Amino acid sequence: MRLNNRIAYAFLAPYLLIFATFWLWPIISSFLISFQNTRVNPWRFAPSMNWGRLVGDPAFYNALYNTLIILVIQVPVMIALATVMAVFLNSPLLKARPLYRFAFFAPVVVGEVAYAAVFRLMFSADFGIINKIIGTVGLSPVSWFDNGTAAMALVIMAVTWRWAGYNAIIILAGLQSIPGDVYEAATLDRVGKVQQFFHITLPLLKPIILFCIVLSVIGTMQLFAEPFLITNRGGPGGATETLGLLLYRQGFTSLNFGYASAIAYTIAALAVAISLLNLFFGREAK
Amino acid sequence: MAGLTLKNVIKRFGALQVIHGADLEIEDGEFVVFVGPSGCGKSTLLRMIAGLEDVSGGEIAIAGTVVNDVEPSERHIAMVFQSYALYPHMTVRKNLSFGLTMNGNPKADTERRVAHAADILQIGELMDRRPGQLSGGQRQRVAIGRAIVREPQVFLFDEPLSNLDAELRVQMRVEISKLHKQLGTTMIYVTHDQTEAMTLADKIVVLRSGRIEQVGAPLDLYDDPANQFVAGFVGSPKMNFLKARIDAVSADGATAVLASDPGVKITLPISGRPDVGSSVTLGIRPEHFVDAGAGDADLTVDVDVAEHLGHTSYVYAAVSGEPLIIERPESRHAGSQDRLTVGVPSRRCFLFDAEGQRLR
Ligand SMILES: Nc1ncnc2c1ncn2[C@@H]1O[C@H](COP(=O)(O)OP(=O)(O)O)[C@@H](O)[C@H]1O
Ligand SMILES: [Mg+2]
Repeated sequence: MRLNNRIAYAFLAPYLLIFATFWLWPIISSFLISFQNTRVNPWRFAPSMNWGRLVGDPAFYNALYNTLIILVIQVPVMIALATVMAVFLNSPLLKARPLYRFAFFAPVVVGEVAYAAVFRLMFSADFGIINKIIGTVGLSPVSWFDNGTAAMALVIMAVTWRWAGYNAIIILAGLQSIPGDVYEAATLDRVGKVQQFFHITLPLLKPIILFCIVLSVIGTMQLFAEPFLITNRGGPGGATETLGLLLYRQGFTSLNFGYASAIAYTIAALAVAISLLNLFFGREAK
Repeated sequence: MAGLTLKNVIKRFGALQVIHGADLEIEDGEFVVFVGPSGCGKSTLLRMIAGLEDVSGGEIAIAGTVVNDVEPSERHIAMVFQSYALYPHMTVRKNLSFGLTMNGNPKADTERRVAHAADILQIGELMDRRPGQLSGGQRQRVAIGRAIVREPQVFLFDEPLSNLDAELRVQMRVEISKLHKQLGTTMIYVTHDQTEAMTLADKIVVLRSGRIEQVGAPLDLYDDPANQFVAGFVGSPKMNFLKARIDAVSADGATAVLASDPGVKITLPISGRPDVGSSVTLGIRPEHFVDAGAGDADLTVDVDVAEHLGHTSYVYAAVSGEPLIIERPESRHAGSQDRLTVGVPSRRCFLFDAEGQRLR
């Protein structure tokens, strides 16, 4: 090895060491652990135990179902919302743009526990402001934490609130990269604003939106904080239990690391598969 | 097709006024070039005609109708942008047909117009490519094609050739000129390049700092500039300006004596009566010097550099430190000595007062 290289690696060593210890090794290790029976001491190699259990576990299918439902509803709604927010932020008519940009981005910065607490207060059945508002329009109050469907809706709303602004900022960057004179040309071509949005803006934003979708899919597949903190650890009765929660429960409540590892690998594989599908369907038509 | 009228048109961006009352008459079918240095307001004026900028004061009329409050889409104009502004995600064919399709134009008619434009501009082979797969010149053609397809009453061009290399620029210039002959539509063309203006225009509008300095046919501007700015802007290489003083005023006109060489006295047949002793500027174009002895006065200059282009030569010289350029056609030895003497024909000279206005 040339001296130069050796010095370079010496400088990189602290990072590589940390990367190997806390990143690479856990990935390999958990793969190996997923093939072990971790409910006996010492652990034993039992390749079909965890994976076999996964295939037949109703709790797994419940978590998978919940996760996919959240994914299918939350991601499109959030991306659509984020696009609208980005267009709004990009409007030349908008005053105080930096303020809005900050406001939209702020939820990402707020601590999860704090925001979860606020959501719990707002959606509290008896004295939450949301039910008060619902009451004023003459509807009966919703028990957000006791009704499975309502709890799912709550999780979806919370996740959307937290990440829509973040995606809007990314999409805004894409919007700003579209030259203004393209729209001027379209205006002179007698193409209306709405048509401009659907025939110029959206097609040109497609790569960015796709990127946001992939990010969101990966995020939602790992969803944990909201159902854990807001809807009482996946409650009521597992109605909002996600794969992330199931993993947590198996790993850190039941200390069954083998099964938790199998679930972790399933989450990762699903995230990759869904993202690839997205990219495949979103690719440029040739 | 339509003519245009600008009446005391004003444009302000906030407190900054960039167009100071422009008056202009453009005939139906005319090729008008707005020319002037960068930042003088050419694009702004063009964009106001297009409706892309609001008018802060005055009136713009197209075909006799005031359009100040008419939407750009209803003005029946088409514009070719400096940056081309093609739709990046559409093929050339879609770029051309997009506007018509969106407006529900019958498919057969759209196809006919697209084919016609493609034919005129010879872009038939490019129809299925996207802008990213085209060269600068090809993109420019597509941008022009998109304007043609609209069949507008007025074409607007904003420095359409400035992103092309020199050779292509000449070629496209000729094509735009041909296009105008072929279509006969009113065209307004913005450029900072006086050569483009001189070669394309029926009528040139010279702008400076948001004011129209002069309007006229190319050769009228060349032969009869209204002021020192126009005199210096039109013609290449630009007119020489030499400091001078009025020596005498008589029935024959005014006699000016060069500050740099008091031996050179030129009498110009002007009818104005400038004050004797007042400072003026004497203008003469590089190509208007004659052989020593053949003019009304002889001027001896110190030669700096000579450029020989074959058909002509340019001598970069100075009189007492005042720079000037002298063109010597068909001479390959001009400027080979340290000093050069040329004749100054007085009928080719111009006089400008201290404010740069022409003394006539
Ligand atoms: N949107 C704008 N806001 C403020 N000033 C502008 C704007 N557009 C142009 N200007 C100013 O107006 C003047 C004329 O600009 P422009 O018409 O683009 O000049 P040209 O096309 O002759 O180079 C310049 O001083 C420019 O800085
Ligand atoms: Mg310009």
